[in-house]
Amino acid sequence: MQINHPQSKSYVNEEAPCILACPIRQDARDYVQLIARGRFDEAFQVVRERNSLPSACGRICTHPCETKCRRNSTDKPVAIAWLKRFLGDNYSKEQKNPSAGKYSEKIAIIGAGPAGLAAANDLALLGYPCAIFESSPTPGGMIRMGVPAYRLPRDVIDRDVEFIKKLGVEIKYNTTLGVDFTFESLKKEGYAAVFIAVGLQDSRTLNIEGAQLEGVLKGIAFLHEVNTTGKAKIGKNVLVIGGGAVAMDCARTALRLKPEKVSVACLESRKEMPTTDFEIEEAVHEGTILHNSVGPKRIVGRDGKVTGLEILKVKYVFDEQKRFNPAFYEGSESVLEADTIIMAIGQASNLTFLKGQENIKVTRGGTIIANPQTFNVDVPGIYAGGDIVLGRGTMTESMAHGKKVAIAIHNTLRGVTVKDEKWIDKPAVPDIETAKIGLIKKEEKVEMPVMASEHRLNTFDEVELGFTLEAAVKEAQRCMNCGAGAIVDDNLCVGCVTCVRVCPFDVPSIKRGSTTAYIDGDCQSCGLCIVECPAKAITFKTPYEDRGKDALEAVFKDKHIRGIKPLVINFYCQYGAYNEGSQANTAELLVFHYRRVGVLGLGKVDPSLYLRAFELGAHSVLVTACKDSTCHFCKEQEWIEKRAKYTTQLLAGVGIDARRFQTHFVSSQNGKEIIEIAFKMVEDVRDIV
Amino acid sequence: MIVASSKPFQEIKQMLAGFKKVCVLGCGSCVTICHTGGEKQVTELAAQLRLSAQLEGRQLEVIEDSTLRQCEWEFIDDIKEVIKDCDAVLSIACGVGVQYMAEKFPKTRMFPGLNTTFMGGPTEQGVFWERCAGCGNCILATTGGLCPVSRCAKGLMNGPCGGSQKGKCEVSQETPCVWNQIYDQLDTQQLLATMETIVPPKDWTTGMENHPRKMVLEHLVMKK
Repeated sequence: MQINHPQSKSYVNEEAPCILACPIRQDARDYVQLIARGRFDEAFQVVRERNSLPSACGRICTHPCETKCRRNSTDKPVAIAWLKRFLGDNYSKEQKNPSAGKYSEKIAIIGAGPAGLAAANDLALLGYPCAIFESSPTPGGMIRMGVPAYRLPRDVIDRDVEFIKKLGVEIKYNTTLGVDFTFESLKKEGYAAVFIAVGLQDSRTLNIEGAQLEGVLKGIAFLHEVNTTGKAKIGKNVLVIGGGAVAMDCARTALRLKPEKVSVACLESRKEMPTTDFEIEEAVHEGTILHNSVGPKRIVGRDGKVTGLEILKVKYVFDEQKRFNPAFYEGSESVLEADTIIMAIGQASNLTFLKGQENIKVTRGGTIIANPQTFNVDVPGIYAGGDIVLGRGTMTESMAHGKKVAIAIHNTLRGVTVKDEKWIDKPAVPDIETAKIGLIKKEEKVEMPVMASEHRLNTFDEVELGFTLEAAVKEAQRCMNCGAGAIVDDNLCVGCVTCVRVCPFDVPSIKRGSTTAYIDGDCQSCGLCIVECPAKAITFKTPYEDRGKDALEAVFKDKHIRGIKPLVINFYCQYGAYNEGSQANTAELLVFHYRRVGVLGLGKVDPSLYLRAFELGAHSVLVTACKDSTCHFCKEQEWIEKRAKYTTQLLAGVGIDARRFQTHFVSSQNGKEIIEIAFKMVEDVRDIV
Repeated sequence: MIVASSKPFQEIKQMLAGFKKVCVLGCGSCVTICHTGGEKQVTELAAQLRLSAQLEGRQLEVIEDSTLRQCEWEFIDDIKEVIKDCDAVLSIACGVGVQYMAEKFPKTRMFPGLNTTFMGGPTEQGVFWERCAGCGNCILATTGGLCPVSRCAKGLMNGPCGGSQKGKCEVSQETPCVWNQIYDQLDTQQLLATMETIVPPKDWTTGMENHPRKMVLEHLVMKK
C-alpha cells in the first residue's frame, strides 16, 4: 500500500509489526482493514499481490504476523491467517498478466513446492516463460506430501496452483532431476536460468539401537503415504518421536487411522516445543498423549518388532549458549510401550540429483549453499532456495526465497537492479504505551468454527470450517490499523491543540520545541481529530479511508436515483453492521428509499459531508451510529450527538427542516430497530420534501 | 489571539444576495484556532451557501480557499488569481484581515463572515474568554497577572465592588469576579498589602480613546 504522508518533518516511516514479521511481507494490515470495510475483492487483490498461494497459506502458515500483532497487548491477536483463508475461499479470482510473453528467456524451476511456485508466479508476472519440473504427479511439494488433508484440503492447493498456471506457468509432472532430465539437458533446451527448489524430501532418523526394528516409520514417508493413499500400516499403540509441526501432523494423522493410542515423546518441555500452540492444542484435543522433556535412548523390541521406546529424562535441551545440546539425567531410564514408532525429528535432503555438479556446494547438514542475497550457487544461471537452502523453513520463508530468486534472475538476465521496496526494513510501530492499553476496547476474538470432535477422527476432511462473512468482518474489525492512522501535515497545522484535546486515546501531543502536533503509532484511527481539526491538517495515512466521501458520490452516479422520492441517505457505522444473526435489511420500502453509506466509525464523518448529501440531491439524511456501550472507539456517542446538533443548525440556516436530518443510536445496523427508524423517517419527511 | 464568532448565516446570505460567483476565504491563524475562520469553516460555509442557492433555485458558484494570514500583504498576493473572476469575497478572517483584503483588492466587493469579538484564548476545548482589552498601558504587574480592564464588567481599577457575590460577578453568575481572583492571587503571593494602595484614575488615551493607534519600529523601517 502506498501510505499517504503529507509534508511532515516529524513523520516516522514506521511499519505495522504484522507486515514486518511476514517473510513475504504480506500487507496483512491492509487486507484486514479492507475486510473490515466489506471490500473483499480489493482485499483479495492485496493478498494476491504478494502471495501466490493465498488459500493454502491462510490455513497452514505459522503466522508470525499474529505473534507480533499489537492486539496481543490488549487482548488477543487478530486472526490474520484465517482472514486470508476467508478471502482465498470466497474471493479468489484469476489474475491478469499484462507482462505475459514480454521476454523470451525460459526459466526452469525444479520443484512445485511453495518456493518453486512463488518464483514461477513472480517470474511469470515479470514476463518470463517458466516451466516447473515436479517429480510427483501433483503440485504443492511438502504442503501436499507432508501436510495432512484435514489441515489443508487438496482442492485448495489445486485452486491456488491453477491461478499460477493461468499466468503462463507450465508444470511438468512426474519428471525428476537426475532421472528424466539433467542440468545439461535444460541448458541444451535453452533454459536461461534454473532454480533448484526441491525441498527436503526425506526424514531425519535417529541412529539408536533398535531403529531397524519392524514398526519404526519415518515421519515424512508416513505422511506421504497417508496423504497419497489414505492409509498406512500402523499398530495399536503409536508413538511419535518429535515435538514440531511434522510430529503433530503425524500424531493427528495416526489418530485418524484409528489405533488404540497415539502418544508424542519429545525433548522439549511443553513451552519449548517448536510449533504453534494451536497445533499442539488440537493434537491433544483429538486425543494425543504428550510426553514432554524425554529423550530417546533406544528402541526396544521382541522378535524383530518394536515393543517400546526407552527414554531418559531431559535435564535441558539448550545449553547456556542457547545451542541445541540436550543433556539427560543418568539412571532415569523408563520405557514407553509402543508397537509403532514414527520418527518426526526433522527433514533431510536427498541430493542424488547433484551427481556431476561438484561446483554446487553443500553444507554438512546436506543443504545447498546459496548466496543469501542473490540465491546463486556459484554456478552461473543456477539458483537455489526454499527448504533445500533453509534446512528447516516455513512455507512463507520458502515463498520469500522464491520471490527473491525471481527478482535476482530478472536482475541478472536484464542487467538491472530492481528492488522490491517491501523488503526494505523499517522500524516497527512500537508496542502500545502501557497507559493507553486501558483506553482501547477489548474486542472478543471470533472463534473459528470447527468440526465436532466426535466426527473428526473418522475422516480426513478439514477440521476448521472457515469464517462466515459476518465472522470475518467482525474479526477484521478488531484490527487497530497500526502505522496507517492519522498524520498531521506540519505545513497546515496551526498548533491549536484541538487534536490533543479531543483524542479519546491520548495519542496526539505537541512536543517541546515544536509548533505542530504529532500523532504516534498508538493512533486507533477513530478520525475524531481529523474532523475537528480547524485547519484540515490531519489526514489518514491509509488510502483505504475516505471517510464516506467516495461512497456518497458513488450513490449519485446512478441515474435512476433522481426518480426516488423521498431519497434518504443513511450514514451508518460499519462496526455495527455485521452482527451475526442480524435481520436482513430487505424491507421493500427501505430498498427503494434508502441508499446506505457505511463508514468504519461515524466519528470520522465531517458535518459538511451531510450537507453535501443534500447538495447532491438527497431529500433526507439518516445517521445511525452505535451506542457507547458497543462503540469500538468507546465514546464517540458524545461527539456524534454534538455534531448532530451542529449540523442541524447549519441546515436550519439554509432552511432545511430538522426532520430531514436525524441521528439515532442503534445496537445493530441491520436489525429490526433500524428498520423501524427508517420507516418512520420516510413517513416523517414524505410530505415536506 | 483574536477571537471572532460566526455571523448568522441569514446575514451572510443577505450580504451575498445577487452575486453569482463568490469566494469564501479562510485565515490560517487566530480564527482557525477559535474554529470560526479556518479551512474547515470554509468548507462548511461554502456547502451552506451552495445548498441555500440550490434550494432557492439561484445560480451560485462558490470558490473555497484559505491563506496563512490575511493581515499580511505577502500572504494575500496570491489570492489575486483565486478571486479574479469572483463578484465578491466573503472573508472569514478577523476585521483586520477583511480590511487588508479590501485594501489590496479595491475593485472586489469584500464582506465579513465573522464578528471580531475580543482578544483572548481557549480556557477549555470550545470555550473562549476575553483576556485583554488592548488598553495600551498594561497594569498586570500590580494585579497579580489578572486584568481588571478586560475582565471586570465595570473596568474598575480598585475592586472588588459590592456586586461581587461568592466569587462571581453580579452582571452574570457565569462570570468570575476578577477582583476576587486578584485578591486570591495576591494572597497566594503574600502581596495582599498591594490591595491597600489606591490606584489613581487610569490614562485611557493610550487605548480606544485614541483611534487609530500606530506603532513604528524605527530600526526595522526600510527606505522606500
